[in-house]
Amino acid sequence: MFIYTAIAVLFLLLVLGSIRKTRRPETEERPPEALHVNAAGGRWLELSERIFDPADARWLSDELAFPHLAATLTRARKQMAVRWLETLRSSFDELVRTPALNADEFPGSDAHIGWRMLWLTFRFKILISYALFVVKTLGPYHRLIPAGTWLSSLGANKLVLRPAAPAHSRVWR
Amino acid sequence: MHILGVVVSLVGFLLEGALLARLVATRLAKSFPLYFSYLGYSFCGFLGLYLIYWLRPRLYPTAYWMFYLVSILAEFAVLAEISDQIFRLYPALRKLGRAITIAISAGLGAIYVLPSIFGGEGEPRYAAILDFALRTAVTKAIVVVVLFYLARHYRSELDRNVAGLMLGFSIYLAMLIAALAAGKLLGPSVGGSTLWVMAPLATTLCQAVWTYALWEKAPARYSKATSPALGADSEAVALELRRFNNELSKFWQR
Repeated sequence: MFIYTAIAVLFLLLVLGSIRKTRRPETEERPPEALHVNAAGGRWLELSERIFDPADARWLSDELAFPHLAATLTRARKQMAVRWLETLRSSFDELVRTPALNADEFPGSDAHIGWRMLWLTFRFKILISYALFVVKTLGPYHRLIPAGTWLSSLGANKLVLRPAAPAHSRVWR
Repeated sequence: MHILGVVVSLVGFLLEGALLARLVATRLAKSFPLYFSYLGYSFCGFLGLYLIYWLRPRLYPTAYWMFYLVSILAEFAVLAEISDQIFRLYPALRKLGRAITIAISAGLGAIYVLPSIFGGEGEPRYAAILDFALRTAVTKAIVVVVLFYLARHYRSELDRNVAGLMLGFSIYLAMLIAALAAGKLLGPSVGGSTLWVMAPLATTLCQAVWTYALWEKAPARYSKATSPALGADSEAVALELRRFNNELSKFWQR
């Protein structure tokens, strides 16, 4: 009984605390704030092609024979890749947190659109978390999907693996 | 004790009737359809129970428990309404609350609530019903806490109506959890008397908060940062979401 009483008290305290923090002032009328920059648009996206392109590191390593410099570049690119992904995630969070002008504009008939958008939100969150994990642990030039080379030894001929990336391509190895 | 329970219950019933009328008058019933349906069910149920109590007292215990067990499930409509209202203004998250409510209810229902029905062999019926009601109330409380957390995480600002709806329901759940736990511990005679007063008291307090919070319609919610690039409709936001996903999906195809 005491456990449940403690749960009840704790629950009520949590709710009261949360209500205070999430409550919207009724009389306040704020002008629209400055628009946030959409990180998924324009030249900002083109930056990713450079960050995740292994051509520069390969050029330093293979053609100029500076493996040490290539490793340094790869480390720097890894940091940039992490920042790029985190910025993309922040921008996405801003998008989902952007309220519409008026809730009453949305009829109840667009329920399937709502579920579809929720799925896109979940999908993005899962993918970006996984991408960040891969970049942080394996680096910016690693494939997000395992290459599956071990499958070839099992005779999975239909799974044709992508050949080694040519220079200046956008392939993640 | 008996009279006190009846009086408290009657006050709650009157508040419920007043709130129902007010919801219709202010057109809030249209904005809160699930909640309005729940209130309607609850009001009609209580009315039926009062009639049975005065006209056919011998049928009252059976009628009460039947109404109570259906009410336990009907209260999920309030949770569904709360979950819909919290993210109503956010096109990308509009179904998040509903998804979370369904997931937690189904998950806890399977592993926590259902065992109280099928696992309590040899347990007295009174204790089994209380255990079921208690576990269901805890499940609802967990859903409310998670919804509050999500509301804070996504900076969803609650207006007076929704905040009052959540607060009233939370007070009801907290009191009910404590009362049901006490009722289970004290046994049918003493516990039954405690519940006779505590359960209507929880309902009446909840109704009082709801009546205060939903008496007037809260001002229309507005955007604090609406980008013209996004527009104000679902399709524009859906397009943006798709763009983000497509951008990220490129990495999978490399």
